[in-house]
Amino acid sequence: MFDSLKIFLDRFIKLSEAEYSQLKEKIIIRHFLKKEIMIRAGDTEHYLYFINKGLIRQYFVSGKEELVIDIISEGTITGSVTSFLSGAPSRYFMETMEPTSVFALSKKDLEALYLSDNKWEKFGRILTTHFFLQQEKHILDNIRLPMKERVINFVSENPNLLQRVPQKYLASYLDIKPETFSRMKHLLFNKRITKVQTSK
Amino acid sequence: MAVDKRNINPSHLALAYSYLQRFMPIGAEQLSGLIPYCEFREFRKKEIIVDEGEIDNYLNMVIKGLVRKYIKVKGNDKILQLATEGHVVHSEISFLTRSPSLVILQTLEPTVLVSLSFQKMEEALDKFPHGERLGRLILTNMYIKKDERRYTWMAKSVRERFLDYLTHHPHMLQRIPQKYLASYLNIKPETFSRLKHLSKTKG
Repeated sequence: MFDSLKIFLDRFIKLSEAEYSQLKEKIIIRHFLKKEIMIRAGDTEHYLYFINKGLIRQYFVSGKEELVIDIISEGTITGSVTSFLSGAPSRYFMETMEPTSVFALSKKDLEALYLSDNKWEKFGRILTTHFFLQQEKHILDNIRLPMKERVINFVSENPNLLQRVPQKYLASYLDIKPETFSRMKHLLFNKRITKVQTSK
Repeated sequence: MAVDKRNINPSHLALAYSYLQRFMPIGAEQLSGLIPYCEFREFRKKEIIVDEGEIDNYLNMVIKGLVRKYIKVKGNDKILQLATEGHVVHSEISFLTRSPSLVILQTLEPTVLVSLSFQKMEEALDKFPHGERLGRLILTNMYIKKDERRYTWMAKSVRERFLDYLTHHPHMLQRIPQKYLASYLNIKPETFSRLKHLSKTKG
């Protein structure tokens, strides 16, 4: 059941069997339908979610526009992290793009773990480092990389998402015009075919 | 308690304690256990602390002075952070993943930093009793601030960015050359001048 979570956590921290059980006790399994709002801007985030299956977009509303800031699929941890950490209202919405099942950990339970043993403090520090590095990478990539490179990187790091995520959301996330994205998508598909052929 | 025999300026030490206490409620007595792991480093104005391509070996907090963190994009400097007293500044990805830095750190004033090397940080995380918690809280604070900045860049108009910044940091206009503030706020220098002029005639 929790194999995917274990695989994810093993990349960062060695937890004993007993520690895994301790963590599992705190986890709530939740299911969301497609296009379900997980959190609205203005609400406070009380959970972190490990995505076992599904697809989520995070966005904020500016005027009439929804600007996508993150696309999250299986195997990663998410949530409206700033709100979770600060306790302030979320600036962002989270909405599923597919039926989604998650392992949720509440802030209350996480803080209880922190107080129970320094090992969990370490866990918290490493988890926060993970969020922190992702955030910084995202900021730097958006500033330094030309649009074309951002698109190519995204597609090569997330090969299955090109089919799964509606184009308008991908375009918004990569901060390019939907028309431009259509053109690029065509190029990318050709590239992928070339890549597969050369790797044989 | 470990006694630190190095010659540390007492006022710098007092500032280090008070800034660290912003992250976590902890007594100076307890914090003194962290000082043996730290270095106090002094820099002249306009000195490069970390250059592009170097591996940043330090996590720094500004005791006195001002540091800009920036990245070169097509020959232009894009300022990502202006760190003043009490702020934490370093090349985060480089430091944490031990990879060449994409960003440059440079002082804009004579600066004193309290710094923890990567190796000393690892030791302190193990041995300093509040290390893990303090580390987490510093990262948390940086994450929240970065999100604030990122949101401001994406969601707020040029005018809002200008007014918000000057409201929250009224003294910075005197401290920092205008071109740096304009770059940090992602506002064209001409526009920045115009907004400054407007705000003066109004105020």
